[in-house]
Amino acid sequence: MLQTTTSPGPAPTVYLSGELDLDCADGLRAAAFAAARGAQAVVVDFAGVQFIDSSGTGIFVRLCLDLRSQGVPVTARSLPPQVRGVFDMLRVRELVGDEVFAGS
Amino acid sequence: MSAGRDMLRREAEAAADEVARHPATLQVCRYIARSRTLRSVIGDFDIGIPVEDLRRHAAEALRRNEFMAYTVSLPDHFDTDELCFVPQDGWCDILSIRTNGWHRHHGDHRRGLNEILSDLAAAVACAKLRILSVEELAIECSRGLALVDLAVGDAATLSQARGAVDTVLRENGLTKSARAAFVLCISEAASNMLLHGGGGGSVTLRRLEDRLRAVVADRGPGLNFMNWMEPPAADGQASMGYGLKIILDNLDTVGLHTGESGTTLLLDRMTT
Repeated sequence: MLQTTTSPGPAPTVYLSGELDLDCADGLRAAAFAAARGAQAVVVDFAGVQFIDSSGTGIFVRLCLDLRSQGVPVTARSLPPQVRGVFDMLRVRELVGDEVFAGS
Repeated sequence: MSAGRDMLRREAEAAADEVARHPATLQVCRYIARSRTLRSVIGDFDIGIPVEDLRRHAAEALRRNEFMAYTVSLPDHFDTDELCFVPQDGWCDILSIRTNGWHRHHGDHRRGLNEILSDLAAAVACAKLRILSVEELAIECSRGLALVDLAVGDAATLSQARGAVDTVLRENGLTKSARAAFVLCISEAASNMLLHGGGGGSVTLRRLEDRLRAVVADRGPGLNFMNWMEPPAADGQASMGYGLKIILDNLDTVGLHTGESGTTLLLDRMTT
């Protein structure tokens, strides 16, 4: 189960906690798109994520690409070791670009 | 001119029908050296190549004890197939890989279908992945002692299964990073089961003499390798195509059986 909270601002931060798996698409996308409305950028904070798999990773990758196509770049920060390990396995940097991880 | 265009259109429609009728597939048959017989292990192994040719190549792969792969262009197919001969102990697995002309379009972030199937063939070739017959599956699934046995039917029960497996793995002395890798692999297999395997099944963790084994089993329609390309339902999601790669990269050995009555993966992590 994924929980999200958002801090407002010109570059709002979406804080994730819980698990990013096949069930997280609706929650993650709703929170990120709501945060992106009128924003210059969106930060996604992974500090509270306890588990991620390729389904969750695919949903995050799709989110980054979709928001970027709407002119809102996404950056990821505070990646726990398990998340970093899965992102490395799936070569997420190559898929979304180094700039997504500029602040991590 | 118009007749020419009509012909091209009919050819294009026939090609589309061909894809619909024959989605990308992995078919496996087994050549038994002693009896010189062939038997289907996955799918109905009918790839349009004379049986005697298959026997001859399988016998050669066994004699040379070498993995042999061929690209085969068949006159009645519009795309080439790959045919792999994998020598084993007394038998040779013959894998027919057919992608039916599907190619990843530019900008797609998912893994290519041909990469997925090639990974699979390579894993069989290096003995990391064992293709199991029904009889072998029955034996392997009953070996050892069941430590966890859970039905998984949705994301919530999958999450519970991950937690239960992690607890038992900790009790069995696995480090945090080893547990994370094993639980990830189980989650990948079970997610695939939920998305494409008829919507549910079971996750069982077993302790054998030399290994821990997770058995992830569903009663779905069997792997067809196309469900990553199109979502299984209108509101579903396509796979990213990396689940199998994660499983093969992080475990010691994997067993696979798939057919019309379901798919089972055996995920083994050696403990000795």
